[in-house]
Amino acid sequence: MASRAEPPVWLRAAATAVAAAFAVPLGWLVLRNAGGAGLFGVVRAPDALAPLGRSLAVASAVALSTAVVGTAAAWVTVRTDVPLARLWRLLLPLPLVVPSFIGAFTLLAAFAPGGLVDRLVPGPTALPRIGGFWGAFGVLTLLTYPYVLLPVAARLRQLPASLEESARLLGRTPWATFVTVVLPQTRGAVVAGALLAFLYAVSDFGAVQLLRYDTLTRAIYASRLDPPTSLALSLQLAVLAVAVVAAERGVLRAPRAVATARPGPALRVPLGRWRSAAIVGVASLVVLALAAPVAVLAYWATRGLLRGSGRIGTVVADPASLLAPLVNTTTASVTAALVAVVVVLPVAYLTARSRGPLAGAANAVVVGGFALPGLVIALALVSFTLRGPLLAASLYQTLPLLVFAYTVHFGAQALRAAQVAVAGVPPRVGDAARMLGAAGTRRFLRVELPLMLPGLLAGGGLVLLSTMKELPATLLLAPAGFQTLATRIWSATEDAFWADASIAALLLIALSGLLTWLLVLRRARVLD
Amino acid sequence: MIRPRLLALAVAAALALSGCGNAFGSGRDALTIYSGRSQTLVAPLLERFHADTGIPIDVRYGDSVELALQIAEEGERSPADVFFSQSPGTVGFLAAKDLLAPLPADTLAAVDDRYRNDAGRWVGVTARQRVLVYNADLVDSAELPDSVFDLTAPAYRGKVAVAPSNASFQDFVTAMRGAVGDEKTRAWLVGMADNDAPVYVNNNAIVEAVGRGEVPFGLVNHYYNEQFLAEDPSLPSRNHVFPDGDIGALVIESSVSILATTDHREDAERFVAYLLSEPAQRYFAEETFEYPLVDGVQPPADLPPLATLEAPDVDVDALGGGFAETRALIADSGLEG
Repeated sequence: MASRAEPPVWLRAAATAVAAAFAVPLGWLVLRNAGGAGLFGVVRAPDALAPLGRSLAVASAVALSTAVVGTAAAWVTVRTDVPLARLWRLLLPLPLVVPSFIGAFTLLAAFAPGGLVDRLVPGPTALPRIGGFWGAFGVLTLLTYPYVLLPVAARLRQLPASLEESARLLGRTPWATFVTVVLPQTRGAVVAGALLAFLYAVSDFGAVQLLRYDTLTRAIYASRLDPPTSLALSLQLAVLAVAVVAAERGVLRAPRAVATARPGPALRVPLGRWRSAAIVGVASLVVLALAAPVAVLAYWATRGLLRGSGRIGTVVADPASLLAPLVNTTTASVTAALVAVVVVLPVAYLTARSRGPLAGAANAVVVGGFALPGLVIALALVSFTLRGPLLAASLYQTLPLLVFAYTVHFGAQALRAAQVAVAGVPPRVGDAARMLGAAGTRRFLRVELPLMLPGLLAGGGLVLLSTMKELPATLLLAPAGFQTLATRIWSATEDAFWADASIAALLLIALSGLLTWLLVLRRARVLD
Repeated sequence: MIRPRLLALAVAAALALSGCGNAFGSGRDALTIYSGRSQTLVAPLLERFHADTGIPIDVRYGDSVELALQIAEEGERSPADVFFSQSPGTVGFLAAKDLLAPLPADTLAAVDDRYRNDAGRWVGVTARQRVLVYNADLVDSAELPDSVFDLTAPAYRGKVAVAPSNASFQDFVTAMRGAVGDEKTRAWLVGMADNDAPVYVNNNAIVEAVGRGEVPFGLVNHYYNEQFLAEDPSLPSRNHVFPDGDIGALVIESSVSILATTDHREDAERFVAYLLSEPAQRYFAEETFEYPLVDGVQPPADLPPLATLEAPDVDVDALGGGFAETRALIADSGLEG
């Protein structure tokens, strides 16, 4: 491996500044717990650690299952001759935009007695009551496998096809090629994605609440009006997240940089007799994770539209009322995605090039932010802006503060993707460019950035999709009157306007598909 | 490299456009309302208030509990002038922190003293009643229980849905503690848990499940079923009110309060008075199926007048406090999970 110079001072300074901003919610939690009796009460109470154990159990299971499902789906759609590959590449990431409470709700509604499945399947059917660990595990896996799929697919696009071609010419089956050649090269991306799925599952409230699996987030929710308890529980969650992130970095060595990264012509492994199995695999993922919720939503939406509504203020009565939420959702999420990708770059460079304590701390703080409940992040920023200098107070409940909240909450996703991308740039490329006299900035723009672009776009895409469905921080920190599709969906479900909620949710899914294609997939494909 | 420029243009255009949908224009002079009541229900009323008075409004909609936490966190610099909440528990939380201003006496006088704070820190706007929602296809309406305490009997094993994490259920348990004491309340909660009462997320989920026939009974607020029936009149879900002033027929009010830190006190007081005016009260009765709290306004169609309800006599101020104890009682009963 090429010798690595110490990271330059400006890089360390930039990474420190970014990490400090990301540390605001964590710092607030620690301050709020300091001196409070809640912390000891929570730890000493009988069964105090049971919710923590359940959070850990479901999140670990989800991390494992998404690693398998996401990697397989990425390889099949990027590297094989599976039919309709472009369609699958567009559809497979989309479950990420389905808010988990909607995923869980549609699943419950579909499979409940008297629900859609009961009505469609003739004869008496004994449907299981969905819930508990397996319900939460299933829903969270289906909603989070794209965290693995996207970075792995990006990594595969970066990988030279020559290795796999050689393996194939030597007579290896697609499966053997996958295990011996592809897997070792994508390990970093797989782990990066699975960790995000883990953190998503740890911080999820919507699915575990509806499916009645008593994790830490449910305990936090139930004790909200008793801040000493809820803040102590939130700190437990933060400590769990930071510990897991730190452990992952300690255990996993930096992903190996691969030889040439100049993408040649795309490799397409012929699937042969595995063809139908692959189609069934990706198709059933799309059906379960995307088509099923969409079908339930479409059923409610059509029913509402056909029946009309005599109630005022509904989408059914006034479809134009969704226009402002549509524009707001797009603005906020695109801005947050751009900001997140840019601000995490210094941390990505530092963590990829250095294994020192500063890099480790910056990594843990940025990634840990993803595990905190949105409400905690929002309240921390309320305190941060209003109890600080007046200048900060003028930012309160403005779009910049909201984008800051999104960035702190979801920047982890951009960081993981960026780390994979940075690590994928062989130091030799930079060395060669340096020898040819390319100055720092030019080298970055002309040589490194193009190589990293697929990974960075994937990271931005993840932030985009998460931001679009974010609710608690949006409700507390958005400018007055700033509605998003997510707040509309929430408000409609509060009032049992199922038709309204369904129409807004379908629009959210459609918009996410459009934006993912326009900003991420189409641009990434230009490169291969 | 045209594309990045196009993208920047699109973002700029979107930013400009998104400004149109906001209440930005109203600026510093606007009355800022934090509303735990939902937008679909409240927005038309706020528009009318603005049209009638010319007072500009900024509204923030959210969950009542989260908005109360936000106001507490905002402290002195809170932009909020008015807090309109789903439940008395959340205003009680803020009153205990001394964050609410006293309301004018004539505003308070509009509402029966059962439905307002003794210290005048908040006043009820509308009332909802706790009911037993049931599926008329599965349950004989002649055999409905007389008391919420009957539901721990073996006949109801696994049949009565509850939402223990829901604020209205918690308010109900707090009221029960005030009415019959902690021991009897604990016994009832444990009885419900031992009777395998299925746990749901909230009132909507319960009414939806009862309508589908997944569970025959559920403990909820009365207006959820009215909303469901308005959207789908063919549903078999019906409300049953426990008779004879049973605690299961508790009446809980939504409430409004003015922040102690407000710099728009006059406008805020006009707004609170407006919520208690005849047109606003009639609006709630017609659109949200809730009981008006001001005399002379008809209750929603098919519902008896509030004064004739055999509701239990409960000190609503007690609902504001004791939240942590109520939660601990529920958690210890095994009902959550």
